[in-house]
Amino acid sequence: MADLWYLIILNPMLNGLIALSSTLFHSFGLAIIALTIIVRLILFPLTTKQSKSTKAMQDMQPKLQELQKKYAKNQQKLQQEMMKLYKEAGINPLGCIWPLVIQFPVWIALYQSIMKALATTPENLLNLGQHVYSWAVVAQAFPLSSHFLWLNLAQPDATLLLAIIVGGTMWVQQKMTTAPSADPRQQSTSRMMLLMMPFMFALFTMMFPSGLALFWAVSNIIGIATQYKIMGWGYLRSHSESQVVKAKKRR
Amino acid sequence: MKQRKILFIIVLSLLSLTMTSCMSGGTQPAQGWAGVAYHEGVLYTGSMDGAVVVVNPATRTSEWSYDFGVVSSGGFMSCGQTSAPVAMYGTPVVDGDLVYAGLYDGRVLALSSSARRQNLSFPQMREGEWVYPKKGEVGSVVGDLVVSKDAIYVASSDGKVYSLDKVFGDLNWESDIPSEKLWKTPVIEDDTLYVSTFDGCIYSLSTKDGALLPWAFKADIGFASSPAIYQDTIFVGAFDNNLYAIKIGGNEPLWKFQGGRWFWAAPVIREGIVYAGCLDGRMYAISAETGELKWECDTQRPVASSPVWDGDLLIVANGAGEIFVLDTNARPENKVMLPVKTMSVNASVQGALCIHDDIVYVHAQDNCLYALDIARGGINWKLSLTGEEAS
Repeated sequence: MADLWYLIILNPMLNGLIALSSTLFHSFGLAIIALTIIVRLILFPLTTKQSKSTKAMQDMQPKLQELQKKYAKNQQKLQQEMMKLYKEAGINPLGCIWPLVIQFPVWIALYQSIMKALATTPENLLNLGQHVYSWAVVAQAFPLSSHFLWLNLAQPDATLLLAIIVGGTMWVQQKMTTAPSADPRQQSTSRMMLLMMPFMFALFTMMFPSGLALFWAVSNIIGIATQYKIMGWGYLRSHSESQVVKAKKRR
Repeated sequence: MKQRKILFIIVLSLLSLTMTSCMSGGTQPAQGWAGVAYHEGVLYTGSMDGAVVVVNPATRTSEWSYDFGVVSSGGFMSCGQTSAPVAMYGTPVVDGDLVYAGLYDGRVLALSSSARRQNLSFPQMREGEWVYPKKGEVGSVVGDLVVSKDAIYVASSDGKVYSLDKVFGDLNWESDIPSEKLWKTPVIEDDTLYVSTFDGCIYSLSTKDGALLPWAFKADIGFASSPAIYQDTIFVGAFDNNLYAIKIGGNEPLWKFQGGRWFWAAPVIREGIVYAGCLDGRMYAISAETGELKWECDTQRPVASSPVWDGDLLIVANGAGEIFVLDTNARPENKVMLPVKTMSVNASVQGALCIHDDIVYVHAQDNCLYALDIARGGINWKLSLTGEEAS
């Protein structure tokens, strides 16, 4: 199983990353950005499907809440009515999760490729030697330069800048897709989640090699662009609009 | 429903991150692969627990050990590991009562056997012990230390070569090599030190003052192995899977030999034949003069450590822990050499092998020291370097 993983997914991605580094002015940072864009483009149909499913599910929330109120004491009936509603609207409730699940192996492979290529310890370099293809473009990439902009891609970013970028872009991306809820309990959970994920990833940025954090940042920025193309600024704009309205009322 | 979805995504994200940081596809921590040295009836190696361990092969017990301490590493996403033992990749060098060790945290130590036997505090200067640097930090030491009559030469990950006084551990000189990091062992010939770099250069330095000498060789490709010298020719493996032969003073390689993967280990040369282990799992015997293949032996798994000699027998270890005994006097058919014997320690071997009295001593990546009898073709004994009894 592990051999198949290496043969089919990891090794092609790893060698692609190294070859990109060779062609992009021997810059491993640019290679990470380019590969993230390529992977995002390949996964674009899945991402679109996932976003559309999420939006459709969110649009159905008022109707679902009505049903929840109506059948609060009869769970079986509630489930039946909910399924009926999904069927009528032509929505698969798991439709927004499956594209995400399918994307995970690709993200894991991308993550592993970056970590492997950086080869921060002698063990990793020796291990890398057993996974690289004998292509001239791959061989010419060595040694991979770990310097990009102000970053040493093999080390965590000593400044807070990358952590802020990763956390900030993740917050924006999540905010664009998280619908405000009428239920105060749900609203508070959403608010907590909205803060927790960006905070955690900002924390990871300070712990992991910055090459990986660069991948997160680029991935988030592409995610924001994709979301914008599909459904505009989404709930990010409605959030800012409601802030403006609140401010006007206060005045 | 929405809450469940968000929770599902969070759990999945964390799970995948945790898995990827812990599973083999993530990074491997620096554990070291110190080889074994034999000196006056005693074996010296560096354990993966971050210590020099000295073993008496007759009694199969540890005579003394010295713990290097720990370095902070990782965090809770690195499977809970917040500190790790200091790794050692080179083979300890023994000179009289002193044992020299280069460490991954950048220190070079001179340990006195008599002081360590008494478990005195380190360093006991009266016993000749020292540590370099006394203050501050230098880059990680990954290659072997090169020891001459008066000095110790150290290639460091900070891109510098250091010459240290053998007696006091003082800095004789340091030489800035135009390379990001030096992980390979330099080689000394007469009064010149030759250093191979990952960015494809071989530099020559004066051992007297560290000055870069006029001759340097620049290849289009980085060098993956330490250099080896034979009759004014440097043999070195590169990232393009070739083994290069470079005449000292020349600008072009004499020849290059294509392997299936990197030649990671330094080759050994004897009587005009270069013996080079390759990560493609083969041991190649190549004419030093022409680069023509004499024979090859397929060990099936990557060969990451240099072979050693026992008379005319060549002993090769691979990444699966198999030890191959090759008779270099044999005339193989179709250039395919078959081993006269194979033995196994069932753990990857990456550090230098050591031979004494027909016994091969191996420090494998299971952190055990093995004694293998070449004549008998089996393991004589095994000693766990984490403190268990020999078996």
